[in-house]
Amino acid sequence: MGANNETNKRSMVIVAILAAVIPLAVSSNYYLHVINLAGIYTLITLGLNLLSGYTGQVSMGHAGFFAVGTYVSALLAISAGIPFWAAAVVALVVTGACGAIIAIPAMRLSGPYLVLATVGFGEIIRLIILNWTPVTKGAAGLTGIPLPNFLGMQISSERDFYYLIFVVVALGTYIAYRLANSKIGRTLAAIREDELAAETMGVPVNRYKVAAFVISAVYAGMAGALYGVFSGVASPDNFTFDDSVAFLCMSVIGGNRTIAGAIIGTFMLTGLSEILRALQAYRLVIYGGILIFTVIYMPQGLAGIMASGNKWLAKRLAELSLFGKGAGK
Amino acid sequence: MQYLLNGLPIGAIYALVALSYSLIYTTSGVLNWSQGDMVMLGAYIGFALFQFWHVGFTAGLLVSMLVVGGIGVVVQYCILRPLRERQAPPINVVIATLGVAIVSRNIALAIWGPEAQVYPSPVSADPFALGVLSITPQDLLIVFTAIGLMLVLQYLLKRTKEGKALRAVAQDRYAAVLMGVDTEKSDAVAFAASAALGAAAGILVAPVFFVTFNMGAGIGLKGFVAAVIGGLGNIPGAIAGGFFLGVTESLAGGQISSGYRDAITFALLILVLWLRPSGLFLRKSRQKV
Repeated sequence: MGANNETNKRSMVIVAILAAVIPLAVSSNYYLHVINLAGIYTLITLGLNLLSGYTGQVSMGHAGFFAVGTYVSALLAISAGIPFWAAAVVALVVTGACGAIIAIPAMRLSGPYLVLATVGFGEIIRLIILNWTPVTKGAAGLTGIPLPNFLGMQISSERDFYYLIFVVVALGTYIAYRLANSKIGRTLAAIREDELAAETMGVPVNRYKVAAFVISAVYAGMAGALYGVFSGVASPDNFTFDDSVAFLCMSVIGGNRTIAGAIIGTFMLTGLSEILRALQAYRLVIYGGILIFTVIYMPQGLAGIMASGNKWLAKRLAELSLFGKGAGK
Repeated sequence: MQYLLNGLPIGAIYALVALSYSLIYTTSGVLNWSQGDMVMLGAYIGFALFQFWHVGFTAGLLVSMLVVGGIGVVVQYCILRPLRERQAPPINVVIATLGVAIVSRNIALAIWGPEAQVYPSPVSADPFALGVLSITPQDLLIVFTAIGLMLVLQYLLKRTKEGKALRAVAQDRYAAVLMGVDTEKSDAVAFAASAALGAAAGILVAPVFFVTFNMGAGIGLKGFVAAVIGGLGNIPGAIAGGFFLGVTESLAGGQISSGYRDAITFALLILVLWLRPSGLFLRKSRQKV
């Protein structure tokens, strides 16, 4: 386990360095835009993995939290002129509160019932945004969300946003990683594996479940705050049930029981849906087919495949070196 | 009172879809998100039959149920059986059925395009008075066909060998295997029956709403809500849940606000889930520990 953590840390550093130089290598604004979007979605999937993967509480309503984050921060910025970071903090508090509210009925539910409660939550949020026209501008949506400042710099180009999002995602990944590999993460996994047993061992199951919901909601809220300033506009169409489903797919396809899985899944599926654009009408047919194929043949997600690939490689390498030694004799 | 009556036809549709969710859930434990798209496929097949061969309503209904039932069997054998053999976690099964929904929705989009298609009603849509109330022959057709289908289903479940096997599997899958029931077959029967029920709902609803490639999403979700309100896996509960949801929606839309109608429905649903996790109409609470 210790060695595993070392390699994990090392690969994280490598990924971070690679990520920092990406905008220098990618000149096209379109690619950067897609990468930025995937970065924002990564925050949501990170939260989903903590909630669904670690705690076993499946949510199909995360677009709701995402929407709350976007609208709260954007409305504060537009109507009260509050700077981005302050607005984002308020948005995080509000989404966290939403997470706690939905967690109360969710505590008692599992399986399909929990799924439906979260779907209901997501739909309620979308419908409120759609119908509360005086505040949310209804179907027309919000426009002219002001650009953010970061350390006194105005963030405006795709590259600026890349670094802003990169910093937030890196921080989010770090926190998620620390959480997942702490006592809290192990407790959450214990609840997933056997709630009753965890309860018997003295785990305050309900408190942890609420905490998982709140943390997960806060992640989606942060993604929402970034999304608002990044796209400059927001409408109820950005936060549908289909989006919630897409987030869940990213989490499961990547492998929802690891932190790396969230990142892998999000970038894979976001990239895939862009690549498949060339196929036009058949894009989503193939996308759906790939989803089905992946959940059947890679039940642990892409991260699971990579982990077993690593093991296989390590084994082969060990064999090789053994063989080398033998030959040297 | 009029709202109550208005809620009945849509309630009947929800009841059919709720039944289809419950039937699959109770036998194989699968939460099948592609049920709504079976409704959509049913409506499109009925529409295509009418458009190209001028097949009438009754024949269209039967053929469409047969075809979509076949699709249900294919889904069970090609997708859910391998998942079960690999003992995939439930969330993977959910994603797989969502994948089926995405695929079928977009195949329909590729074939029929994004425009809404009109499926003519076999009966008139002009309301006639019923005392102080009014109802259309169209609505009556929906309600009575749905009730007829439910009775047929009940008969099949109670009287045929396949139906009995299905109920046995629903009660205790493991014991059913020990008694020599072919669970794969009864899963296939459940999927076929569910898909066929969905297709029937699709044809019935087609003249009221237009036929579109994404019509399944809304109806499917509402059907699922109805199934959960009635207690997922509980057949009479699904029917009651469907009618209850239809009437509630009609009341909420008419009396409170049409924009917030669905929000009210979902808030009510969360309340039901919170207070009665095993469904509104289940007397015994069977919370598994």
